[in-house]
Amino acid sequence: MRSLDRRQLIKLAALAGTGAFLPRQASAVGEIFEAIAKKMSEGIKGTIGQEVETPLPVKGARFGMVIDLGLCIGCRRCSYACKLENNVPDTINPPYIMVLETKYKPGQIIAEEQPMKNHVNGNGLLYTKLRRDRMYMPVQCNHCADPPCTKVCPTKATYKSPDGIVMMDYNKCIGCRYCMAACPYNARRFNWWKPEVSPEKINPLVPLRLDGVVEKCTFCVHRTRRGRTTRCVEACPNKARTFGNLNDPESAVSKLIASERSFRLKVGLNTGPQIWYLTHPKEKPMIWYKPIPISPDIRGLRKSG
Amino acid sequence: MKELSGHIRENIAGSNRIFYVYCFILLVIAVVGLSQAVKSLAFGHGHSTMSDMVPWGMYISGLAFFIGCSAGATMVGLLIHGFGREDYHPVGTRAILLALLSIFGAMNCVMMDVGNPFRAMKIPFLLRNETSMFFISSSSYMGFMTILGAELFMTIKITRGKASSRDKLLAKLLAIVAVPYALVVVHSFTGTIFGVVKAREMWNTPLLPIHFVTSALASGFALVILVTVITSWIHNKELVSMDTFNHMGFLLLFFLIATVFIDVFDYIILSYSATEEGMETWHLLTGRYLVTFLINMGGLFSALTIVAFKKGRTPRGLLYATSITLLAIVAYRINIISVGQLVPLYPELGELEYIPNIHEVAPFIGLVALLMFIYAVLTKVLPLEDKVHASHT
Repeated sequence: MRSLDRRQLIKLAALAGTGAFLPRQASAVGEIFEAIAKKMSEGIKGTIGQEVETPLPVKGARFGMVIDLGLCIGCRRCSYACKLENNVPDTINPPYIMVLETKYKPGQIIAEEQPMKNHVNGNGLLYTKLRRDRMYMPVQCNHCADPPCTKVCPTKATYKSPDGIVMMDYNKCIGCRYCMAACPYNARRFNWWKPEVSPEKINPLVPLRLDGVVEKCTFCVHRTRRGRTTRCVEACPNKARTFGNLNDPESAVSKLIASERSFRLKVGLNTGPQIWYLTHPKEKPMIWYKPIPISPDIRGLRKSG
Repeated sequence: MKELSGHIRENIAGSNRIFYVYCFILLVIAVVGLSQAVKSLAFGHGHSTMSDMVPWGMYISGLAFFIGCSAGATMVGLLIHGFGREDYHPVGTRAILLALLSIFGAMNCVMMDVGNPFRAMKIPFLLRNETSMFFISSSSYMGFMTILGAELFMTIKITRGKASSRDKLLAKLLAIVAVPYALVVVHSFTGTIFGVVKAREMWNTPLLPIHFVTSALASGFALVILVTVITSWIHNKELVSMDTFNHMGFLLLFFLIATVFIDVFDYIILSYSATEEGMETWHLLTGRYLVTFLINMGGLFSALTIVAFKKGRTPRGLLYATSITLLAIVAYRINIISVGQLVPLYPELGELEYIPNIHEVAPFIGLVALLMFIYAVLTKVLPLEDKVHASHT
């Protein structure tokens, strides 16, 4: 057999390389275009997967919540339960409910006017151990009476419903994230990746989302409008959370917000948050639970040394 | 039509090899850069460094910058038609073209940024919220593009000597209408997108829309001057007279003074801020963002100093001054968008971070290359040289 000279060898290698490389590239390009075509049709049509009927607003109701900081132990069960209940994918991090950690001295009254900083051990979010000298504060969508997010949304994808819940219409969201920039409570989450929830974990009462849309706490609208309470309230082992109708003076929430200990976050912005907090009155005996760890990989947080 | 196709053929045939190489390089950069944007479109923005804490990044900075760059055309149009400065005629069509491309760039920045651009195309016809500044400003961009498109059409007609007196009147009207439309609707409302956000200390100021107007005039006019200087240099002839260059420099000086004036007092007030968020913003500007802060303020002062002297208002001086101005405005846009969001909404969150990575930078560079490519091709295709006024210069 005739031996190959160098030029022929290079030609052969180039041909073989191209042959091996092209199909992979072609399939990658095909995958991209397939994803775009799918996104185009899904984006124009609406949501994916299951069709979900959202219950109508409850007449005469104005939903609100009270969180007793004296009872919150920062176990993050509310956050975890919320995630499961609302088909929140793992790619959403932090979840709808962030549990902040601040320093606490027994007997200290903690209110909005006395914001506490905790940079000693890095980010307050990333704790792994409950501590009695810390105070825990869950933050989420405040379902404001005059929400800035609904005013700025260019498509009315987010709106205030008559029963006080700030809702999301995933069929209208274009993913501009203006609501996120305008929200003073850091309550909104964007699907940076394609959201995937394992089929066995899907809650059929909650719609699935597309990538590129914003989502948030809906006060478990699929439950609360059917007369049940929110999942986070159910999940709290210390009963730190109370949910109810603010228009009913006899409801537990109405009685709690009348307390001297009640305050709301960032009231100076006049957004009218519908979540009240009760300050820490004094050290109370309470049951401590092991916290559910969250992934330290939170987008946008500077890694502390 | 025959004449126009003849003009195109003549110009393409007359192009040298350097032009083709230049276009090819731009096209390659555009394709490579924008392929990242296509990937983001297919699989989401997960690779970017934007986050739920810092939801807006480089694309929104790009939007603010490109929108600003579109202001130059309106000023040139006003000078020609409103103030009878016929010496600006040779740059009139180029200025409109630059403005159109800037708006196109800005709209592309929005499309690359949003999670679902296909759905975004339904704005303003099928999806709308009249209280949203994003809706108002993005709708206004379409109106501005229409005005500029009509102005370009009329200007080309005039350039080709085919315009009737009615066309000339229409061109004049369009040029005059474009000024209040651009300044009051387009630029002010783009600034208002940020100005209405009460949650962000750096944005929530009534100064912001005014600042967007002045900085848009400075960057837009700087871009027109820069292109005029470079075009004169490439064609080895002065596109406009030295007097016109001097006048251009003088106007730029005025726009720079207005921008610096607002900047300085805004920052002075911010540095005395009694709120925690205000102090944190100032701390960021003079700390992690000191480089962009210095480029912004130092750049504006340097450019202002150059054009303050008559010697600086020569083509060479203007080349430096306009390049520095554009760089300073880019730095300002980065600061206003990034620093505005880096103040954590809860102190307990710790420090936030946003540094754009290759997945955001590459599409942006690709977009700039694409705009430069389109501009290069259009300057060959369209009859930009005014045969009537060319003799004056």
